Amino acid sequence: MDAPYRIDAQLEQTLEQVFSTAAGLQPGSTDLHFDRKLWATLADLGFTRLTSQATGATWIEAAGLLRAAARHAAAVPVAENDLLAGWLVERAGLPDEPALIRTACIADASGSATGVPWATEVDRIVVLWEAPDGWRVADVPRDDATISPGRDLAGRPTDDVRVDLARAASAAIPAACVREYDLRGALARAVQSTGAMDRMLALSSQYATERVQFGRALAKFQAIQHLVADIACETALATAAVDAAVFQMASGHGDLDWLELAVAIARSVVGHAASVTVRNAHQVHGAIGTTLEHRLHELTKPVLAWRTEFGSLREWDARLTDRIARAGSDPWSFGVRATRA
Amino acid sequence: MSFAPAAHHVHESAELCALRVDVRAFIRDEIASGGFVPAVDCWLNSWDAAFSRRLAARGWLGMTIPVEYGGHGRTFLERFVVTEELLAAGAPLAAHWISDRQIGPSLMKFGSEEQRRKLLPGIAAGEVFFAIGMSEPDSGSDLASVRTKAVKVDGGWQLTGSKIWTSGAHLSHYFIVLARSAPLDPEHRHAGLSQYIVALDAPGIEIRPIVSMNGHHHFNQVFFDGVFVPDAMLFGREGDGWKQVTSELSYERSGPERFLSTWPVLAEMAAATARGDLAPDPELGRMFARLMALHQMSLSVADALTNGRATDQEAAIVKVLGTATEGDIAELAGSTIGGGDASDGLARLRAMTATALLSRPGFTLRGGTNEILRGVIARGLGLR
Ligand SMILES: Cc1cc2nc3c(=O)[nH]c(=O)nc-3n(C[C@H](O)[C@H](O)[C@H](O)COP(=O)(O)OP(=O)(O)OC[C@H]3O[C@@H](n4cnc5c(N)ncnc54)[C@H](O)[C@@H]3O)c2cc1C
Repeated sequence: MDAPYRIDAQLEQTLEQVFSTAAGLQPGSTDLHFDRKLWATLADLGFTRLTSQATGATWIEAAGLLRAAARHAAAVPVAENDLLAGWLVERAGLPDEPALIRTACIADASGSATGVPWATEVDRIVVLWEAPDGWRVADVPRDDATISPGRDLAGRPTDDVRVDLARAASAAIPAACVREYDLRGALARAVQSTGAMDRMLALSSQYATERVQFGRALAKFQAIQHLVADIACETALATAAVDAAVFQMASGHGDLDWLELAVAIARSVVGHAASVTVRNAHQVHGAIGTTLEHRLHELTKPVLAWRTEFGSLREWDARLTDRIARAGSDPWSFGVRATRA
Repeated sequence: MSFAPAAHHVHESAELCALRVDVRAFIRDEIASGGFVPAVDCWLNSWDAAFSRRLAARGWLGMTIPVEYGGHGRTFLERFVVTEELLAAGAPLAAHWISDRQIGPSLMKFGSEEQRRKLLPGIAAGEVFFAIGMSEPDSGSDLASVRTKAVKVDGGWQLTGSKIWTSGAHLSHYFIVLARSAPLDPEHRHAGLSQYIVALDAPGIEIRPIVSMNGHHHFNQVFFDGVFVPDAMLFGREGDGWKQVTSELSYERSGPERFLSTWPVLAEMAAATARGDLAPDPELGRMFARLMALHQMSLSVADALTNGRATDQEAAIVKVLGTATEGDIAELAGSTIGGGDASDGLARLRAMTATALLSRPGFTLRGGTNEILRGVIARGLGLR
């Protein structure tokens, strides 16, 4: 038996401590602003480029980091900088300057990309595009790009970006890398969502035991117990699906079909879990949970926003249907492999 | 750090993968030679003693029972892999299901040496089948309220009362009975209960069939009219009945039978989609994803049990989600297929779906209802 998947307990504790200092929203605003103070701390600790070739950390550690960040609603582009942009830069053999903060996107042939997370706030935008002779990647200084700022429903900067592809110094990159980039992005969002769900569960349990109506704590009502129990169930299932995909990713064996299957399962389970966890967490909290003043929305809104990135829930479900139909009459041996990578 | 009951990811070893390959080959041969026809809810409905013995011949019954008692000394994970493959194939497992899943492990934990020697070899050989005698007409979820009475007599105990919903009692050799062996103390409702191993052909036992709404007969009501149970068949310790019953719940609740009862329906829907007889429906992918995630969770509970860790919370979660999902698959099929005709390629799916829809109400009841289990989960979260 292999050792079960586990992130080092010490690292987990450190991450929890670091992210508990996250600033959160500024009072009265729905906009998320890059928490540069937290970023500086993370950079000092080597957490902003956790999985760079130099550190040897894997997706297992990165998942622990993303979960801790999401649990504390930290406004930092760790997923974009490390798991997407940083990885692309390394893959393409472009010069890596770890102090630079990056995001990444796929642009169309005209150099346009929409909804690019954190583009207004970073130093560089790593752009992927398909040129007539194959896929290319460029590490573009933000000031060389035209940016129209936008925000997603969680208030996070998601900007439209335009780059002059002819002027950008670019390198060729295999199409498989582009496919893997999409899967990495999709999985990163799923990992983050499980972190937020875990905190939603904690807040809901806590609120149910503190808030008194009809002379007793809400937690004494069976209807409330069941709402919270269902948050726990969906969160646990989502986490199991995500962990399986993270394990595939960390094993780095390069079978993208297999990886896609694990990521698709994770995205499907997480996406449907989002429906239940967000609805129930808000139901338990009553009116106060719907206000800007209460923290709950800092956890529920990102989950809804992340669900729309790197493929919608419907698209992931449909992709799975397609895969199992193509697998023929035996979806079991397709899903539960009896061979090791 | 995480607040939710944390399952840990388990990656199957090469040995476990090899075991899966063996079981798959066996299943292919069985189906090809007409050994069985894949069925819905096979672990409750498909009784085939000859198939059980073919499994035993492979060493796939009583896997976790030590060799000295006729078993195979293998791990819970190995048993997990074998049963999961068989359930996914819809193989007829009902005959040995209870004896293999819980009686074997319980005997190892609580049974006397004499009971182990007498019963375990037969369980591992597929020769001795068990039923469960817990529920009574007035005691369902509130199991501690059972009223079947055990009175101490010379050389043993005398049982009076009745058990209901006893699946397979009419075909089994024994059942394990929870009875009140000391008067009820309202302050300590869980005290004074004991378990007994009762031969189903003992004098004073009457077994009456109860037919389910799909026309199948697996349920029974079993009446005891002063049935004598020798001292040697008291199971575990007198008065420890409640503790013994609840200590087995992780095994009972987290297994793959809690999410695979309708897998053959999903597999048939996938096949019909591949043939072009059904339009591709994202809901199918969604169900597949949930079952794959449940497979991971259930595997991690099996791993925890192998390593002797308690996992009541995770087990309850697997059962709540798994039984709801297997019911949702029946629903998905039921809301997808229409009346159709013989030429639409869906005859097989239609037949399976009918069985699945009529079995579905039982999924979220048997083995502790989902309402009771949500209570267990809420308690674990500190809400009650
Ligand atoms: C297919 C099948 C096979 C079975 N096989 C066996 C067997 O082999 N041996 C055996 O002993 N038993 C068996 N059972 C019985 C099973 O264990 C019981 O059905 C189960 O424990 C529920 O009891 P009940 O049916 O009396 O329902 P009740 O306990 O009367 O419950 C009825 C409804 O009320 C809800 N409810 C009850 N109490 C509460 C509460 N405190 N809070 C909220 N809701 C509550 C329940 O969730 C349920 O929805 C089987 C049942 C089924 C369906």
